[in-house]
Amino acid sequence: MITMMTAKDVGTMVKHKEELFILDVRNQTDYQDWRIEGEQVESINIPYFDLIDGVDGVLDQIPAHKKLLVVCAKEGSSKFVAEQLAEAGLEQVAYLQGGMKSWSEHLEQVLVFADERMKVYQFLRLGKGCLSYMVVSGGEALVIDPSRFTDVYLDAAKHEGAKISHIVDSHLHADHISGGKQLAQMTGADYYMMKSEGAVFSFKPLEEHDRIRFAQVDLRVLAVKTPGHTPGSVSFFVNDKLLFSGDTLFVGGLGRPDLGGKAAEWAQDLYDTVYGKMAAMADDVIVLPGHYAELDREVNESGYVGAQLGVIRAANELMKQQDKKSFVDQVVAQAKTETPPNFEEIIAINRGVEEATAERQQELEIGPNRCALHHTHE
Amino acid sequence: MNSTKVIDAKGLACPMPIVRTKKAMDELAPGEILEVHATDKGSKNDLTAWAGSTGHELLKSEEEAGVFKFWIKKGE
Repeated sequence: MITMMTAKDVGTMVKHKEELFILDVRNQTDYQDWRIEGEQVESINIPYFDLIDGVDGVLDQIPAHKKLLVVCAKEGSSKFVAEQLAEAGLEQVAYLQGGMKSWSEHLEQVLVFADERMKVYQFLRLGKGCLSYMVVSGGEALVIDPSRFTDVYLDAAKHEGAKISHIVDSHLHADHISGGKQLAQMTGADYYMMKSEGAVFSFKPLEEHDRIRFAQVDLRVLAVKTPGHTPGSVSFFVNDKLLFSGDTLFVGGLGRPDLGGKAAEWAQDLYDTVYGKMAAMADDVIVLPGHYAELDREVNESGYVGAQLGVIRAANELMKQQDKKSFVDQVVAQAKTETPPNFEEIIAINRGVEEATAERQQELEIGPNRCALHHTHE
Repeated sequence: MNSTKVIDAKGLACPMPIVRTKKAMDELAPGEILEVHATDKGSKNDLTAWAGSTGHELLKSEEEAGVFKFWIKKGE
């Protein structure tokens, strides 16, 4: 008999580091591009079209003692293969409901921080490596870099008995469609982003609001950007404890500077931020980035993606006593030309100059995240 | 293009377009051409990968009003 697993089920298993064996039946290029990963997740790739005449050839590649999940792009082929595997005598065969499309859209909520003033949650989009956040204090909630799955934040706020009053985007995202505008419309919250990022709808420019205060929360905006430069990213420093670093700083290192095609200028701004405002921050400040590249390496023992600033600094040569020129040279040399899939169209949607149906938005976001890739193997 | 056979897989979801294509291809002789019509968006990637892995040749593909058409020549 075959069973169905949801993306949420798989997310829970990844989070709890449970053993799972995945037979991914998409074609090879899709599998190489992106797949379900986790510390205890093992996967093999055999395209479903190689299994149409029977599954006997793969049975010896599937470990008997592990839970088996068959995965495809949407669902149909995985069910087809799972049924054949069950007929061939395998027990515990499951298929992924909604396939990789569902996996791409699942968010996992984790508590990051709680004190007498605020509670902070991280939302991990496991299928894409995108992170968003909610800061709750005194019946109000601030959402950072929301994905387009606005219900998740509405439910989370409701669960906390809070009303979403502020929404911020750390930068104009190139890898996923922001839920900021929609969430602001649904909640009446104030929506902030950098004016220089070129959005055409109405919002509060961060250039004019470098501090957001509500209840027991004091958020300061750190701009990596200097006027006249194209790509920009800001960080948010909350209550002198948490640094929501957007695309500036990741657990594995510094952000990629190339998306705007002006790596050198961006690297100079980055230098000023790293050696200016960030250098003055305490080692025990917790860095909460906008992305991760490899969950196993970047998730900590509390189950969220983040690390103390001191730890990141210690592990990163670029953040230690560099002069500006050598810093810029190194960052530029590391810049990659690989871009997220469909990034031009996603940027246009996030700027509000283009619109897309829900189905189109889903298609555009399918695939790997490439915003945070480059820094993992430095 | 002279197709030996035409498969209508419109409205069918994955994996059926490939299942039908494969079945039809099994009945053709090497060098003959199979024409496939499908509406599943994944069919283009999958047919291309399938043809490549089986030694058939995807001669041409086009899209018209949401219908994908493929011409595949059976390999030796």
